[in-house]
Amino acid sequence: MYSGEFDGAAAFAGGGFMPSQATTVPDPSSSFSKNRNVRTLLPMTVKQLSELSSNDESSASIDGADVNTITVVGIVCDMQDKEPQFIFLIDDGTGRIECSRWAHEQMEFNEVNQISKGMYVRVYGHLKAFQDKRSLNAYSLRPIIDFNEITSHFVECIYVQLYNTRLRGGSSNQPQMTNSNHLKEYNAISSNHYSFDEGKSIDQMVLDFLRRPEFLANNNGVHRNVISQQLNLPMDKLMEALESLNENSLVYSIDEFHYKSAVNA
Amino acid sequence: MDTSNPAVFVNGGLMRMYVGRRIRTVIQVIQSDGGGVTGKSTDGHQLVVKGPQPGFPLTTFVEVIGIADTDRSIRAEIWNNFGNTFDTQSYNQLCQLANGEFKHLFI
Repeated sequence: MYSGEFDGAAAFAGGGFMPSQATTVPDPSSSFSKNRNVRTLLPMTVKQLSELSSNDESSASIDGADVNTITVVGIVCDMQDKEPQFIFLIDDGTGRIECSRWAHEQMEFNEVNQISKGMYVRVYGHLKAFQDKRSLNAYSLRPIIDFNEITSHFVECIYVQLYNTRLRGGSSNQPQMTNSNHLKEYNAISSNHYSFDEGKSIDQMVLDFLRRPEFLANNNGVHRNVISQQLNLPMDKLMEALESLNENSLVYSIDEFHYKSAVNA
Repeated sequence: MDTSNPAVFVNGGLMRMYVGRRIRTVIQVIQSDGGGVTGKSTDGHQLVVKGPQPGFPLTTFVEVIGIADTDRSIRAEIWNNFGNTFDTQSYNQLCQLANGEFKHLFI
């Protein structure tokens, strides 16, 4: 029975889950066990899932991040009861994917019984692949109640993709950070770097960079590799911006590789 | 997995890009009669939605999935009630992003 005296600190101290364990960097040499230890939860569209590259059935990655658990939001367009397995066909507007939910306990049956055809649901599950066919092993399916969640989910998909490809330093197929750093940076970056979206286009970023006093003073211009590195921009995006700025006479190129702002020239 | 029949996120202004194609959008219902449902898109355009209406009463905001007949009318396949409160501004921005730089995540 409840003794009435519950020392929370003592209950969770020593032995139990310690915060530092969450930030432990897994050994990068254990590449197979990496999938077991490093867990990611990625919001994705079915279109993205259909385009995942995978080296083998047990590991897949997108934009440099391991794909373990994913979440999708969509409409249930078909349901099959093959107790204890329930199969839902989810259509999120970008495609359809099959989600299997296994139910053994009452709570799981209750969860499944809440779902009906035509309903919007949020699914959490693991990606599984069988003979070229990808599906989800769902461990949670719940009806959407506030439909702003649909907007929020797709915006999150966009943000995470942007974060993994651009804000994190670019190169795909190279997981540069572990999941734990992911989480801390994700939260920090969302407040600091999100402002890139508001008002500052890539063109403007490049222009501002070239207008720094140290570059204005340098008659030799700045090498495009330096700009790319400093601004964390992939070269094709940088070149697009430089060409556009060049056309508008805001920058000019000294040779093929060095650029200078036309202001104060 | 089947990505052969997507429904593109659109607002009123984007519909002209997808005439004849399957789209999805959220409208605020203005009027509902035999001729169809007239609604306001998230970017303020007036749209008309035709097709068999659902058997349930519509809430203020409704998601319509169907074929864009013209740049201002839709032939609905699916109607989803989105309730009486909905953040149209965020949805509108999502439509713009989903048809711009991030189109590859959707279609």
